[in-house]
Amino acid sequence: MPSLLALVVALPFAGFLLLSLGGARLPARAVGIIGVSSVAISAVLAVAVFVALAASGPAEVRFVDTVWTWIDVGPFAPAVAFSLDGLSAVMMLVVTLVGLLIHVYAAAYMRSDASYRRFFAYMNLFVGFMLVLVLADNLLLLYLGWEGVGLASYLLIGFWYQRPENGYAARKAFIVTRIGDTALAIGLFLLFWELGTVDIAQVITRADQLLVEGSAVANLSAALILAGAAGKSAQVPLHVWLPDAMAGPTPVSALIHAATMVTAGVYLIARLHPIFEAAPAVLVAVAIVGAVTLLLAALAALGQRDVKRVLAYSTISQLGYMVVALGAGAYAAAIAHLVTHAFFKALLFLSAGVVIASLRGEHDLWRMGGLRRVLHLPFWSFGIGAASLAAVPVVTAGFYSKELILWNVWVAEPGGAWLAAVLLAGTFLTALYAFRAFFLAFFGKLRDAPSPPPRGGLIAAPLVILAVLAIVGGLFETSAYFGGIELLTLTLGDSLPAAAHGVGADALALMIGASGLSLLGIAAAYLAYGPRVLPRRAGGYLPAAGRAAEAGFGFDAAYERIVVGPFRRLARGLRDEPVDLVYEAVARLLRAAHGVLAFTQRGRVRVYLAVLLLGSLAVLAYSVMA
Amino acid sequence: MTRADLADLAPLAPLAILAVTPLVVTVAISVRRHHALALGITLAGLAAAVAAVPAALAAAPATAGALVTVDALSLSFTLLIALGTAVVALMSRPYLARSERRPEEYYVLLGIAATGAAALVSTEHLAGVILAVETLSVALFGLIAYPRDRAGAIEAGLKYLIMTGAASAVLVFGAALLYADIGGLTFDDIAARASGGFSVVGLAGLALVIAGLAFKLALAPFHMWAPDVYQGAPAPVSALIATVSEGAVAALAFRMLSATGALTEPALAAIVAGLAVVSMAAGNLLALLQTRVKRLLAYSSVAHFGYLLVAVMAAGPLGVEALLFYVAAYFVMTYLAFGVVTALSGRAGDADALDHFKGLCWRRPVLGIALVLSSLSLLGVPVTAGFIAKLYVLAAGASEARWGLVVAIALTTAISAFYYLRLVVVSLSRPAEDPRGDDRSLEAAALLTVLVALLIALGVAPGILEPLATRAADALF
Repeated sequence: MPSLLALVVALPFAGFLLLSLGGARLPARAVGIIGVSSVAISAVLAVAVFVALAASGPAEVRFVDTVWTWIDVGPFAPAVAFSLDGLSAVMMLVVTLVGLLIHVYAAAYMRSDASYRRFFAYMNLFVGFMLVLVLADNLLLLYLGWEGVGLASYLLIGFWYQRPENGYAARKAFIVTRIGDTALAIGLFLLFWELGTVDIAQVITRADQLLVEGSAVANLSAALILAGAAGKSAQVPLHVWLPDAMAGPTPVSALIHAATMVTAGVYLIARLHPIFEAAPAVLVAVAIVGAVTLLLAALAALGQRDVKRVLAYSTISQLGYMVVALGAGAYAAAIAHLVTHAFFKALLFLSAGVVIASLRGEHDLWRMGGLRRVLHLPFWSFGIGAASLAAVPVVTAGFYSKELILWNVWVAEPGGAWLAAVLLAGTFLTALYAFRAFFLAFFGKLRDAPSPPPRGGLIAAPLVILAVLAIVGGLFETSAYFGGIELLTLTLGDSLPAAAHGVGADALALMIGASGLSLLGIAAAYLAYGPRVLPRRAGGYLPAAGRAAEAGFGFDAAYERIVVGPFRRLARGLRDEPVDLVYEAVARLLRAAHGVLAFTQRGRVRVYLAVLLLGSLAVLAYSVMA
Repeated sequence: MTRADLADLAPLAPLAILAVTPLVVTVAISVRRHHALALGITLAGLAAAVAAVPAALAAAPATAGALVTVDALSLSFTLLIALGTAVVALMSRPYLARSERRPEEYYVLLGIAATGAAALVSTEHLAGVILAVETLSVALFGLIAYPRDRAGAIEAGLKYLIMTGAASAVLVFGAALLYADIGGLTFDDIAARASGGFSVVGLAGLALVIAGLAFKLALAPFHMWAPDVYQGAPAPVSALIATVSEGAVAALAFRMLSATGALTEPALAAIVAGLAVVSMAAGNLLALLQTRVKRLLAYSSVAHFGYLLVAVMAAGPLGVEALLFYVAAYFVMTYLAFGVVTALSGRAGDADALDHFKGLCWRRPVLGIALVLSSLSLLGVPVTAGFIAKLYVLAAGASEARWGLVVAIALTTAISAFYYLRLVVVSLSRPAEDPRGDDRSLEAAALLTVLVALLIALGVAPGILEPLATRAADALF
């Protein structure tokens, strides 16, 4: 069974190769079949390997499949090897299964695009690299996957490269995450320097033994890894690329910029948590980064007009939830939310995709409205997704994972209460922006008649399945009040410390408070943006604050002024290549030398003879004198 | 003659065959003028000489009198000389057929030049050197001035005559000084004196001999004849000078410098190193903005023999290997470059201006590819023979810790990139008008194709020359 692991990774790459080498003559139907089936088979194999791992029981906590040893010099012997434990199994299943649903949807959604083949080639490439990232046995391979998904993300954000702003968005995403990537690379070098291995399992055990708690090395490497995670998972202050990344096709936003790639940072911190535990100060920083991100992004989501940007800020904010949980040491809770978030956020994006397509590419919420009556399936699926995002109590998946985070953060030391307060505020804001978008799009007056939406089984099936998952997909880990299911704990096994479950007055109060805030947020959204108010408040509230929120609170403008502008000026200053002046001087010197020498070669034999004679005399003189 | 006597003659057979060939051609054409016949006899003679090399190698070393010494080094170069002369003969046929009414004597001169060159690499005696050099030079006067109706060719022949006369005077004077000091002219005589230290007269003699040979190698500052002669001579003859003539002198210089121990004398070593550096710099700088392709190739050869001198200075097995490989690779790339010039030359005169080569890759793909590859090889770009050759020379220089020379090679090669790459750019630029009257025969294309294959083969599998080089090295050290 372990040997199937390499195949799980290899299949999407095979799909990529087939599609990219298959030539332009490949019929669209074949493109769809190759693109989807490569991920489908990979998903089936992933489930099979997972079942095998689960069946092998506690005796075998991880599968390792070594394909070949890449380099072998002393302690540095990274292999192309994949390993499966509880944590990577969860990630693998999310990537392949949610990835499969989105591929199926995309097969229909992107059908009319001229670059259908290129689209699926990139999508397969992404899935392949994402699997490398989560299944890598060593840090080097993990880093390869990390960069690979960045590449695929770049290619897909700029998929419609004919429009320059899409290319700009792709570059921005690549460069901003690059900053984090560089920090991560340095952090990983530092770890290798300190621990003498790149093997992840060994890094983890040695980190426990060798890293002195609070030492400079521990703090520095943890901080660098945090920077890497913040870049990939769009945490403040490196979050600015994600809203612009919405320039890519909607299935891309669903797969890469909601369900999978952006959670890589969360995965990385969870994976390397012993290093963070050796650096308590950095762990506090993790929590603070998450909390700030959560609130800022939720507020920014409130000000967006573009439905996809609302969802993008929502993703940033929800990633903030996960990061807060990581900072509080509740790794399992973060992973639980990662899973449910993948369900409901993919659902929201895919639903929004149908809406956008039926409105011929309209993204502006204020130009939507009344779609409830014409787009029945998206209405329900978006509604369910929004409810799950808002953590509507008991009946949604989001509720269970957020409850888990809330309790674990509440009991965490230090500052658990403060963080819990942020989470509660976030719950209210999340419900408010989620249903703001829902009401704006689907209620009120229908503006112009939408064109027929993309329909058919390939569109509907993923929406229905994800909708069901957005409702019941959180029932893998619940507190005693909801049956005390501990499937996630069981799956994660030794790979992560188990999440705590709250019992008692505290837990009940927190749960009821959070539920109340969630419902309050929905009610507020109804009052502010519901069908009764809407015609009168066509512009929104608090125009100044709204503008600030829409602009994402000026991060882009600040970066433009502090970083991009000066850099541009520097580049303009260097455009005339002042460095080249040196080389031009050399060239001029050589030309001059040529001119002088050429002056002697003018075909005059008497000159030639004189030089011959002088040369002989010089040789003679030198040999005699020396 | 008994069988044993014949076996004794085997080492001398290649040289003897080369010497006899022009005589046979002379007799044949005196009976009947016929271009193909003259070419055929010449080629047959060269082929016989090549065929005689293995047997000669098996029986080497041998001597014939005081003047002729045949060993693996001389046989290796005799092989290269015979093959190179054959290429020049093949290249010349369509060229002469277009422009000459009486081409037959050309092959006689070609055979004499080959004989002189082969004699030059087969001697360990300064008198032998002088005889061989004169044989070679006299044949070259005739070849350079062979197109009697072209003023440029006559002028070039005359210039070569005057200049080489002066250089021979220097060489002979040097030999005389040596004889006055040592009382002998064999390399062994000189070596015997070298171990005890030269007197001033002996040193001056050796220095002048080196200067005379430097003229033949067109090393700066004794290079000034080269561009005028290369430009005025028929293109195949320019190729012959660059390869057979200068290659033979290089081999002789190597043998002389290592066998006499002259380089143990710091002053002489400094002179040779100085010649190398000055040649690299002057050759490449003079070629820099040159737009006449034949002149450009002349300067390029000045620079290349400057590089080669680094191998010459590195006595020992690595030096032999570097020398042999460099000369072989230089033969191939020079034949390619001049082969293209020859094929483009018509009745009106040789193709020389850069315009002739514009867009060559598009209108004459075989010629274009040949020119591009030979330029890249002359520059020393990997996958071509020129890269390995330069690598050998650098290795030879590094093994002797002559870092100044190594740095000089690197810097001047960088300068040379400008004009070699300009040839590449010109060949690849938009096609100009197709000049009429040039050679479109399959013959030229086939020859160039074979040479291209050889260029790549030497660049990819340089080991094919290894056995020969090992034999030559064993013979010397």
